[in-house]
Order: sequence, then structure tokens, then C-alpha cells
Amino acid sequence: MTESAAAGIHPQSAATSAPIAPTKLKVRDLHFYYDGFHALKGINMDIPEKKVTAIIGPSGCGKSTLLRIFNRIYAIYPKLEAKGEIVLDDENILDASYSMNRLRSKVGMVFQKPVPFPMTIFENVAYGIRHHEKLSRADMDIRVEQALRSAALWDEVKDKLKQSALGLSGGQQQRLCIARGIALKPEVLLLDEPTSALDPIATGRIEQLVEELKSQYTIVIVTHNMQQAARCSDLTAFMYLGELIEFDRTEQIFTKPSKKQTEDYITGRFG
Amino acid sequence: MASSNFLYTHRRIKNIVALTLSMCATLVGLLFLAWILWETLRQGIGALHPQLFTKITAYGEDGGLANAMVGSLIVNLIGILIATPIGVLAGTWLAEYANGTRLGESIRFLNDILLSAPSIVLGLFVYTIIVLPTTALTSGSTTFSGWAGGLALALIALPVIVRTSDEMLRLVPSTLREAALSLGIPQWKLTLQILVRAARSGIITGVLLALARISGETAPLLFTSFGNNYMTFNPSDKMSSLPQVIYQYANDPGDAMHAIAWAGAFVLTMFVLLLSLASRLVLSRNKVSHD
Amino acid sequence: MQANVGAVASTLAQEARAHRDARHDRLFSWVLKGCALLVLACLLGAAGATLWGGRHAFGTFGWHFLVSDTWDPSSDTYGALVPVYGTIATSLIALLIAVPVSFGIALYLSEVAPPWLRTPVASAIELLAGIPSIIYGMWGLFIFAPFFADHIKPWLTNYLGNKPDDGKLSWVAQHVPFVGKLFGSDYPFGASVLTAGMVLAVMIIPFISSVMREVFQTVPSRLKESAYALGSSTWEVVWDIVLPYTRSAVIGGIFLGLGRALGETMAVTFVLGNAMTLSASILDPGASIASTIANQFSEAAGLQKSTLMALAFLLFVVTFIVLLIARWMLRQLAHKEGR
Repeated sequence: MTESAAAGIHPQSAATSAPIAPTKLKVRDLHFYYDGFHALKGINMDIPEKKVTAIIGPSGCGKSTLLRIFNRIYAIYPKLEAKGEIVLDDENILDASYSMNRLRSKVGMVFQKPVPFPMTIFENVAYGIRHHEKLSRADMDIRVEQALRSAALWDEVKDKLKQSALGLSGGQQQRLCIARGIALKPEVLLLDEPTSALDPIATGRIEQLVEELKSQYTIVIVTHNMQQAARCSDLTAFMYLGELIEFDRTEQIFTKPSKKQTEDYITGRFG
Repeated sequence: MASSNFLYTHRRIKNIVALTLSMCATLVGLLFLAWILWETLRQGIGALHPQLFTKITAYGEDGGLANAMVGSLIVNLIGILIATPIGVLAGTWLAEYANGTRLGESIRFLNDILLSAPSIVLGLFVYTIIVLPTTALTSGSTTFSGWAGGLALALIALPVIVRTSDEMLRLVPSTLREAALSLGIPQWKLTLQILVRAARSGIITGVLLALARISGETAPLLFTSFGNNYMTFNPSDKMSSLPQVIYQYANDPGDAMHAIAWAGAFVLTMFVLLLSLASRLVLSRNKVSHD
Repeated sequence: MQANVGAVASTLAQEARAHRDARHDRLFSWVLKGCALLVLACLLGAAGATLWGGRHAFGTFGWHFLVSDTWDPSSDTYGALVPVYGTIATSLIALLIAVPVSFGIALYLSEVAPPWLRTPVASAIELLAGIPSIIYGMWGLFIFAPFFADHIKPWLTNYLGNKPDDGKLSWVAQHVPFVGKLFGSDYPFGASVLTAGMVLAVMIIPFISSVMREVFQTVPSRLKESAYALGSSTWEVVWDIVLPYTRSAVIGGIFLGLGRALGETMAVTFVLGNAMTLSASILDPGASIASTIANQFSEAAGLQKSTLMALAFLLFVVTFIVLLIARWMLRQLAHKEGR
């Protein structure tokens, strides 16, 4: 436990004595195995509520793997195994008895490449809601509009809701995927390199959107782009070779990292 | 120096001879195939006549092929309607549930074998499980039927549809699955409403290919739907079909019958070629829209 | 307090939905698995049904069935040798012709032809693979068999056979063993084992050449390029690099064609002559398993019907084994690629 404390599981520990915010996701001694390969080695971290937490690190460091455990999406593939605890609102989500349905309505996820469903724009958003709640047509229309507005997409698509989502641009598709995720009113939103397939302008819009969304959601974003982490996150975690090296306030990480490895990575000496 | 020159020339000549032979092989192969198509066109168009489509085979050389065409359509339709849902679901299981498992791999392997299994044996299989029992029930004459013919064709169409569905679903990016699962959508909904829809045009291609394949099948129909000189729309009856009538007429000594057989062969070939073209078109359009 | 009740209710509803979803998922996967198992059932059923139907024939004739060339409906005695021989002979002739031609086509289309020509010719050939076999049969019966009888057969019987028209044996027929018998025939029509083999060859050329071409295209271009860089000619690259790399898949493609040829009914029935007698000459008519079934099944009864079923069982088992080898060989290359 002393070791993990040294790794900075409580981001407030280094900079200030007051906690930034109540903890939303509590990760305790998390190990992950790919077909025998030890991919995550004892991760401990407290992710605060309604903040943006960025996870950075060189490719293969396990940052996406970690994110994919938060909603147990890894479980759809065979031979993957997670050990340890992830506590969300006092319950361990890795517990086999924790309902997948409940977890996925509480924790939404957006992927690297935009993946709209092969349906209309409206249906893309309504499809997920329909599975969790029974709404009248009018209520559904309102819900879809709310979600699209929150994702800053409404003005662009309000006249073509009945058209196929495959006709949208990449940036629009990605915002549609965000709308689809927040339409379920999740508490946590996981973003897995959400801008890596987008051009700079579309990237800017997504980052702006992240800024707006954090008042309502706890956001965890994995990115390979350090400027992005610096621009839009409150906290940054640095991972290397399956271990959490440092986790602190973003300005702390980018100005005065306490670990040599973090500094090397930030200053571009490796990765 | 001289010997190396000789070696070089020798190698060059060998190369030229081999490549020329390969070109000749292509020409010969294409020539024969063109010959077959050309004769089908020539003889078939020569024998085309409006009454082919209006009169039935009962009139013999003064008749047409109307009942055979209707019979073919009905029997093919039965075959496709049986094979499509089963084939798509089985292909889905292979791609989504059993990918990498031992049972899945074995079934995928056996399906490839079924794909080229002798169709006449599949016809005998359906004869044994449908025609024989119903004959025993009616305790009378043999009960060949359109249903039996359709089932025999379904067995031939099934592996084609299983294979294309399996292949097309495996092409659907796994991120689409993850995206749906991360919204809490259950696997069955994800499969039926998203994955199958994403692979739709590929699956349609498979169904069209299967239809092209079964519409030319003759052997399995000989002892299942048998044949019928009169028009019938009832699949519980014996049913005529285009390939079966072609087979029967071609074996007839009369020249007029041969002409009708050629006309039938022409219609059949055109139908099959159009189906193959349509399936290619569906697939290529899909590729464009996905990029 | 009220908020709490609401939360509990919603959690309960969620649990109920989760249970329902899990149940539906299980049910769905069973349905899917059932459909997939039907493929297995088809194969087992086809083998079982023909074996069951042929039990009288197998029981009556025993092992003798396989080596007897008798086919006598009047005394109800049947042997499988004539149709089995016809099936194997026509398929082997078809392979002898189709394999070199298909190899040539695949070589031309993958290495020699100008790029703008490759796709159209390849698609044309693939399209032709889809033409119904009955069309090949009709072409064989009305066009090729007469052509064969007028132009090819006389030449073969006179220059190679032991029964020439003018009675004067050629040098080849006198001095090379077997050839005289193989090509000797006084049957005047075009239908024969050789004709059927040739029609089958035309039919399987599109299959084999498509498989070979696809297989050739899987050879990594760096392999070919490094051979070209050493100064190899196109032929040397194909013979020394492409063929060894794809050997198992090429053999698989050939076996796939063999499987098709063995089980083919319509292309053969029209041009084989349907004679239930054994002849050493490939210019004499014969019978194959499939053609015998197609011709006799509707009129057969009793032991004859059972014999036809038994023949179908033999055909199914043999094609199953051939196709098993074919698919296994083709898979070898896929594994190589996967690694």
C-alpha cells in the first residue's frame, strides 16, 4: 500500500491537502491478463467525480486496456481476465453478480473510430435508450434532441434525422457516438482516443465538447496526444509498461512531474 | 563466356515457350467457354417464340415452357425461403459465437464440403426423408412434390448462404460490436439488428448466388419434384421445372423438342448470368459505400 | 426517502431486464447453434439415407458388389464396377486436360497478361463457373459429341486404336502397350468416356483456374520481387517461387475440381452413352454413378433401387474424402498466411 501511495493514487496528495472532488471510481490492486500475458500490474487510482481524467503513456502501456475494464467491454473476448477491484458508488463492478446492463447504463463509452450503427441518425441515438427505458414518441423525440444538443450536433443534423448516419462526416459521426452514449444518462463517460481518426478542426470541437460535458459527467479520456491531455483534462495519469507511474493534477504533471519517467515522456525523450 | 551465353539463351527460350503456352491455354479455355455460350445464344434465340411463355409442356412440340418456368420459380422460391433464414443464422453462429472454437471450425469445414457435395445424393436424401414417408402414408402412387424439390434445393443453397453470411459478418469491424455492447444492448439484438444489417448487402449477395446455383440444378429434382406436364401452383403436387424439362426434351428424338430445350437453356442461362451479375453489383456498391 | 424508493425500483427493473436479456441471449444462441448443426445433419443424413437405402444391395452382394461388372435387371444381379470405373475414368481424363489448362490460365492471368486485361478475363471465367451444368451437357450432346465423332474420333481410332476403319494397324497401336486397346472402338457415335471427360474438363476449368489464380495472388510480392531482382525469368519465378509456396493449395484446388467432376450428373449423363458394359476403350460408351442413378432411379424398384442407393452412398463417401483432402490442403495455405 505504501508503494501505491507513492505512485500517487490520490491526486490531491502531492499538490494540495484538500481533495479535488469526491471519488467516483476507486481502482484497487487491479491486474489484467491477456491469454497469460500480465498487461496491468497492480493499478491503484481514485478517479474524482465530474472531472476530466486523462490517461497518457506510450502505446502498449495499457492505457486503453485500463479504460476497457471500466465498463467490462473486454469481457466479450475470450482468454482475458481482470483481477482486483473497481468500486463505482460502493459496489465492485468486477463482481460477477454486478449486472452488465446496469454497468453499461452507468458507464458510457466512445471509441477511437466513429462507429455509427447502420441506421438513421435519430435511430442511432434512440436505439440505446429504447433498450433501457420505455418512452412515448414525444418523450423520445425530446430525449434524442437533448442528447444531440449536448453533443453540439443538433443544429447540423436537425433537418436530416431520418437520413443514414453513414452519410455524416467523421467528426459528426464521432459527436453522434457521444450523443448516443450520453443519451443513456450515464454517470461516467469513457473516451478511448476519441479524436485520433479526426482532423484538427473536428478535434477542436470534440475537446470543446468534453469541456462542456464535465459539469454533468465523470470523464475518463485516453489519449496519445499530450497537448490534448494538457488542454482538456483536470487530472492526468501517466502509465508505462502496465504500471501507473504517476497520477496528479494536470498542471502538476506537465510542469513539475515527480517521477523521472514521466518527465522523460512529457519532454519527448521516449514514446 | 560462351557457355554462360548458351545458358542465358536456353533460359530465355524456356521462358518464352512457357509463357506462350500459358497464353494458348487461356485462349483455348476461353474459346471453349465462348463456344458454349455462343451455341446457347444461337440455338436458344433461334428457337425463342412467344408461346414458350404462354403454353404448357403438355402440348409437346406445339407447346411451351410456361408450367416449367412457373414450377421452377415456385420450387426455387421454396428452396431459398427455407435456406435463407437457416443459412444466415448458422453463418451468424459461426462468425459471432463459435469463431475459434473447435465445433465452430469443424462445422465451417464441413460446410465447405457440403458446398461441393454431389447434388444428386442430396436429392436422394430428400427422396428418402420426404417422398418415401409421404408415399407410405398415402399408400398409393409415389408422392413427388414441389415441397420435396424445394427442400432438396434448400440443402444445396444452404452452404452457399452459410459461407457468405459467415464471411461477411466476420468483415464487420469489431468496434461496432463493442459500441453496441457498451450501450448495454444484448447480444441477440446486437446481432440481428446491427451486425446483420451492417453485413446486409454481403448477405444478399450470398442469397443471390445461392439462387443462381439452385436455379440450374437438375439432378436433385428428378426424384423430388419429378415433373408435371400441366400448370400447377400447388407445391403439394408434382411440379415441373425448367432444367428437368430441358433434360427430358434433349433426350427426346424429335428436333422440335430439341429446339424448345435450347430455348429453355437460353432462358435459364440468361437468368443465372443476370443473377450473378446482380450479386456482383450489390457487393461492389456495398464496398464503395463502406469506404 | 421517495428518491430512494425510486432508485430501488429502477434497480429492480434493471435486474429484471438483465435476467430477461440473459435468457433471450441463451435462447438465441441455442437457435443459432441448432441452425449450424443442421449443416452437420445434412451430411450425416445424406450418408445415412443412402446407406439405409442401399442396405439390401450391400447385404445381397457383399464385397463382391465392388468388383462385379454385371448389370442385369432381368436376373436382378448388379455390380458397381462399371459405374465406378466410368466415374473414375471420366474424372481422371477431365483432370488430365483441365489441370494444365487451368494452370496456364492462372499463370497468364496472374503474371503475364497486361493488368487491364486481368480483371475482365478473370471475372468472365468466374461468371462461366456459374453456368448450370445442364448447359454444358446440352452443348456436349448436340454440338461437341457430333463434332467429336466427325473430327476427333476417326483420327484417334485410325492412328492410335486397334480397330481402325481400314483394318491397317498403326505403328503406335502395334508397338506401344495398352494404347491400341485404349483407343480402339467400332462404336460409331460421339458419346464415350473420353467425350464425357472432355466436357467435364471444360466444366471444371473455370473452377480450378479461379482457385489457382486466387492462390497465386496470395504469394507475397516481396518474395517474387526478390527473385526477379536476382534476374529470374517469369517462368522461373512461377516454377521456383510461386508453385512451391502455394503447392498444398494448388493441390487442394485440383482436388476441389476432382470432387466436382466425380459428383457431376448432368454434364456427363448426356455424353457418356449409358452403356452398362465394361470396355477397355475410352472411345466406347460407359456409365458413371451419377448418370446411372439419373437414368434408372425413377423406373427402378426393389433390389435395383437399393443398388442405386448403394452406388450413391459410394459416390458420397468418395467425394467426401476427396473434398476433405481438398479443403484441408487449401487450409494449409490460409494458415501459412495467418502466421
